[in-house]
Amino acid sequence: MIKIEHLSKSFGRHQVLNNIDLTVTKGEVVVILGPSGSGKTTLLRCVNYLEKPGDGEISIGDFRLNCKHARKKEIHQLRQKTAMVFQQYNLFRHKTALENVMEGLLVVKKLPKEEARNRSIALLEKVGLGAKLDAYPSQLSGGQQQRVGIARALALEPEVILFDEPTSALDPELVGEVLAVIRKIAKEGITMIVVTHEMGFARDVANHVVFMDGGVIVEEGTPAEVFNHPREERTKQFLKRITPELNYSI
Amino acid sequence: MGAPFDISYVFSFLPKLLTTLGTTLLIVACSLLSGVLVGFLIALPRLYKVPVLKTCAEIYISFFRGTPILIQLFLFYYGLPEILKLVSVDVTRTPVLFFVILTYGLHTGAFMSEMIRASVTAVDRGQVEAAYATGMTSFQAFSRIVLPQALGIAIPVFSNLVIALLKDTSLAFTLGVMEMTGKAQTLGSISQHFIETYIALALIYLVISFTIEKLLLVAERRLLRHEERSSPAKRMFRLQKNGSYRRIIAELGPGKGGGGL
Repeated sequence: MIKIEHLSKSFGRHQVLNNIDLTVTKGEVVVILGPSGSGKTTLLRCVNYLEKPGDGEISIGDFRLNCKHARKKEIHQLRQKTAMVFQQYNLFRHKTALENVMEGLLVVKKLPKEEARNRSIALLEKVGLGAKLDAYPSQLSGGQQQRVGIARALALEPEVILFDEPTSALDPELVGEVLAVIRKIAKEGITMIVVTHEMGFARDVANHVVFMDGGVIVEEGTPAEVFNHPREERTKQFLKRITPELNYSI
Repeated sequence: MGAPFDISYVFSFLPKLLTTLGTTLLIVACSLLSGVLVGFLIALPRLYKVPVLKTCAEIYISFFRGTPILIQLFLFYYGLPEILKLVSVDVTRTPVLFFVILTYGLHTGAFMSEMIRASVTAVDRGQVEAAYATGMTSFQAFSRIVLPQALGIAIPVFSNLVIALLKDTSLAFTLGVMEMTGKAQTLGSISQHFIETYIALALIYLVISFTIEKLLLVAERRLLRHEERSSPAKRMFRLQKNGSYRRIIAELGPGKGGGGL
């Protein structure tokens, strides 16, 4: 179980996250929605300390981290329990697809080369890239690169995978293949926190939907609750703008 | 001036000049080595934005970039012993070559540090974040992810620096070092065939520069093989495009704000 408690973060004077509380149970898919600038991505980046939170606590299972007084070793532990899939894929450009997936297994998990290789091949096959093992990122399409990114995250067997707008940088016709892979691994019971603008995906796959605005969680609940019966005015406005075909009564 | 032009002298001077090639290459090699080391030391405070050291590094760089190498040679050769005399260290017996290598090393170091800073900054910050997110330490992220890519980006600039250094060593003769240019001066004065010696000398510098350039180009292609496309026609185009783009990036070192590793 992942617990985020009274997490705050500000850039200079601008408060980006204000006292966020969020609990994610094991195997759950949490989707975070919200207008741009609402702090969704910052929240995600705080969970693996890519962004230093100003205050708050993050606990994953028995592991507990006080954000204000985090030591280097603790940050390192936290990062090993999480994995991230980036909007811009951020693959290691000088390494092949296979080497990208193997890197963490070799360097961080210290697995023997043969085992790391076999596991990485299996994962790349799972995301449908069994034929592209030796391709460099520059030789792959955006969708393929992102699927390598997902395989790289899966390889570390983290407690939670954080997806930061995984499809926003993709051409529309490539979005489907990436979402299909995320759907597939969601069904396997891997805990995920996903920031996305794909409403259809959020409705189908999420167990829990969180709507953020202005650095606070405005509303959360099951997809049915949030999409069909939003309670808050701001949620209604946002959903109406983004999915005009659904008629919300404001 | 001197005797009438005779092309045969060019050929007879070549082997004579080549006897001092060793000295020239020794100066280049030692200066490069110390230059890379100094460059790293100077680049680090700028990359990590260490307050006071960063300013020191900037002053160092502007001194060595802003003054002629000839003046630097004179300052170090004539000035340093005087300063050291004040703290009663006697360096009058230290060979000239030491001062030459010291000056070229510090001089190249200033340019190397700019090269290192620019190429490290040119590796996109997202990959470092990905490395951290994977659980790597900052040392692992630097040595496994940033460094291999920065090397490839740095090579065009490095190539220019090595060639510039090779040509700059020709000034060491002003301090009386018997490297190739010094030897050429002597040969010229003895035989009075100045033009022929200089032609021979120019030929040797040209061949060495050309070889260095080609060798480093091979290294660059190898280090940047991940940026190549599969089809040959496209590959040519991409390499050229990438090459020039990287040169621009590495030379300008645009503030990508990714310096704070």
